[in-house]
Amino acid sequence: MVPLPPRPTRPLRKAPRGSNAHFLSRSPRRERRLEELLDAEALPLSEGAEMSEQSKDGCDPNFALEASSSEVHSSPEVPGGPPLPAPEAATLAEPESPPLGPTDAPLASPPPPAPMEEGDPKALQQAAEEDRAHQAPSAAQPGPAPPAPAQLVQKAHELMWYVLVKDQKRMIIWFPDMVKDVIGSYKKWCRSILRRTSLILARVFGLHLRLTSLHTMEFSLVKALEPEELDRVALSNRMPMTGLLLMILSLIYVKGRGARESAVWNVLRILGLRPWKKHSTFGDVRKLITEEFVQQNYLKYQRVPHVEPPEYEFFWGSRASREITKMQIMEFLARVFKKDPQAWPSRYREALEEARALREADPTAHCPRSSVSED
Amino acid sequence: MQSSNRRMGIMTDVHRRFLQLMMTHGVLEEWEVKRLQRHCYKVHDSTATVDKLEDFINNINSVLESLYIEIKKGVTEDDGRPIYALVNLATTPISKMASDFAENELDLFRKALELIIDSETGFASSTNILNLVDQLKGKKMRKKEAEQVLQKFVQNKWLIERWPPVSILQKEGEFTLHGRAILEMEQYIRETRPDAAKTCNICHSLLIQGQSCETCGIRMHLPCVAKYFQSNSEPRCPHCNDYWPHEIPEVFDPEQEREPGVSRPNKKSLRSRQH
Repeated sequence: MVPLPPRPTRPLRKAPRGSNAHFLSRSPRRERRLEELLDAEALPLSEGAEMSEQSKDGCDPNFALEASSSEVHSSPEVPGGPPLPAPEAATLAEPESPPLGPTDAPLASPPPPAPMEEGDPKALQQAAEEDRAHQAPSAAQPGPAPPAPAQLVQKAHELMWYVLVKDQKRMIIWFPDMVKDVIGSYKKWCRSILRRTSLILARVFGLHLRLTSLHTMEFSLVKALEPEELDRVALSNRMPMTGLLLMILSLIYVKGRGARESAVWNVLRILGLRPWKKHSTFGDVRKLITEEFVQQNYLKYQRVPHVEPPEYEFFWGSRASREITKMQIMEFLARVFKKDPQAWPSRYREALEEARALREADPTAHCPRSSVSED
Repeated sequence: MQSSNRRMGIMTDVHRRFLQLMMTHGVLEEWEVKRLQRHCYKVHDSTATVDKLEDFINNINSVLESLYIEIKKGVTEDDGRPIYALVNLATTPISKMASDFAENELDLFRKALELIIDSETGFASSTNILNLVDQLKGKKMRKKEAEQVLQKFVQNKWLIERWPPVSILQKEGEFTLHGRAILEMEQYIRETRPDAAKTCNICHSLLIQGQSCETCGIRMHLPCVAKYFQSNSEPRCPHCNDYWPHEIPEVFDPEQEREPGVSRPNKKSLRSRQH
C-alpha cells in the first residue's frame, strides 16, 4: 500500500480582514488553491486501512467539521484577500487525469459546514469568528475517535447509491442534502467519504462526481465516458420525456430566441398534447413543461416583458446548455423531419461551431458520436 | 498501478457504460438488456465478441458485490418475462422511493403493499386501498389525490394495475407489485412479513400472484407452473398429487416476442388440453 503523501501543514487561521462578504461568495483564488491541493494528493484505492488514515485527515482541525450547528471552522484555503469567514463548500474538482486511468483521480474535499443549510450569513460569520478563537486550543486536542473504517466504507456506498438515484431521477445533488440524508453524524469524515464515493463512481460506473457550482454547492454526475447520451434516450421509458423536451428545445433553438408558450403549444398540438388534457404518458403536460422541466433546469419559463395580457416564453435552461449539444438538436430535427440537418443552414453552422469549440476545449474527448446505433 | 482489484472482476468501459444505462433505466426486460449490451460493445469495443449475457452480468456483479448492489434478474409473475434491475441490497427499498414521493405517498404505498401481501390473490382492490387514506401519515390526502398517486406508482413501475376479468360488479382496478418492486423488495418483505409472505413451491422465491392447489394450498408462480407442467397432459400437484385444477399458461418464448410489451394474442386464450 502506498503511504499517503505528507499532508501539507496549514497555518492556523487568523481573523480575516473584513468579514462582510456574503458567505456564499466565490473566490477564484480559493478554488485555485483547492485545485493544487487536489493535484497533490494521490488516491490509491484500497480497503480499511486507507480509510482510517484518511479519517485522521478528516479529524484534522483544519478540515474537521464539528457536528454542532453553531460552530463553523474556516478553511485554510480561504485566502486573506476576499473575505470569506465561512468555510468553503466541499469541492471535488474535476480530476485532471483521464477518468478511467488506474491512477485515481485526486480528490479531496474540505468539509463544508452543515450550517450552510441554515443560510444566515451573519450568524455564520459570527460563529466563524468565535470559532477561530477556539481553533488554537482545539488544534491540540485529537478530536473524537474516528469510526471504524468499515463504517466509513459503508457510508461511502450509501452515498454512492444516493447520488446515483438522484441523478437517475434528474434531481439536483445538493451538498447539504447529502450531509443531511446520508452522511449525518459522520460529517467530520465527509471528505474521506466523498473521496471514496467519487472513486467508486469513477472506477465502477465511469461517472465523475463533480462540483458544478461552488456557489450553490450543487454536484452533478458527469459521464466520463463519451459519446453522450442520446443512447440513453434510445432505450425505453425516458424516451417520451426526452423527446418532448428535445422538441421544445429544438423549437427554441431554431427560432434563435425564446419560444412563446403559444408557439410551443402549437407544436405540441401536433403530437396530440393539449394544456388542459391529461396525457397517458406525460400526465399533466403543462405542469411538466412549466414546472418540472424548469425545476430540473432544462427550461426557463419567463414572462414576456411589457405584454398585456401576460404571456410567457421558454428558453433553454442551464442544464440543457450543459448536457445537450446543438449538434444533437440538429440530429433530432433531422430524424423528426426526415431531412438533412443542413436544411437549417444557419443553425447547422452554429452547431458545427459549437462542436468545434467543444473539441478544442477538450482535445482528449472524441467527437461526439452522431446518432444512436440502429436497433 | 495499484492492483487493489483483488476481489473485483474486470471493469472496462463497456461494463461501465452498461452499468450507467442500467442505472438510468431502472428495470429492463431481457431483450432490452441484450440490446443495451450490444450497444455498449459497439460504442467502446466493436471488435470484441459480445459476452454471453449471463457471464457479462456475473462479471459485473462480482465487482458490485463489495458495494452491496447487484444486477438482479427476475421474472414477471404474470407472463414469465425475464427482467433485470440494478438493486441496492443494503438499504430498505422504501428509501429508494423516498426521493420521489412525499411522506403520505410513501405511506400509501406501504399500506397497499400490506394489502397485497395479505391478500389471497396478490391483488389489492383500488377501493380497499383508498379506504385507508385516512390512516396515512403526513399531510392529509383525499381519495381523488390517492388515485393519482396510485397512478404515479404504476408509471414508475412500482405497481401494476389490472381490471379483473370477472364481473360487472367490480368496476375498478386492482393493484399488485410490479416485477421491479418484487426484485427490490423481496428481501425486505421476507424480513418484515415472514408469516404473510408466500413462497413458490417450485422456485422458492417470493410469490405475490400465482396459482394454488385447492387441496393442500401450495402455491406456484404462473411461469413456474408453465415450466413445471410443460407438455404434461395430466398436471398434478407436486405436493399432494391431486389434479391441478387451473389453466396451465404457456412458457415464455423470447423468440416469439416480436413486439415487446404487447401481450401475445394466444396468451389469454384457453389452451385446449389433450388427454
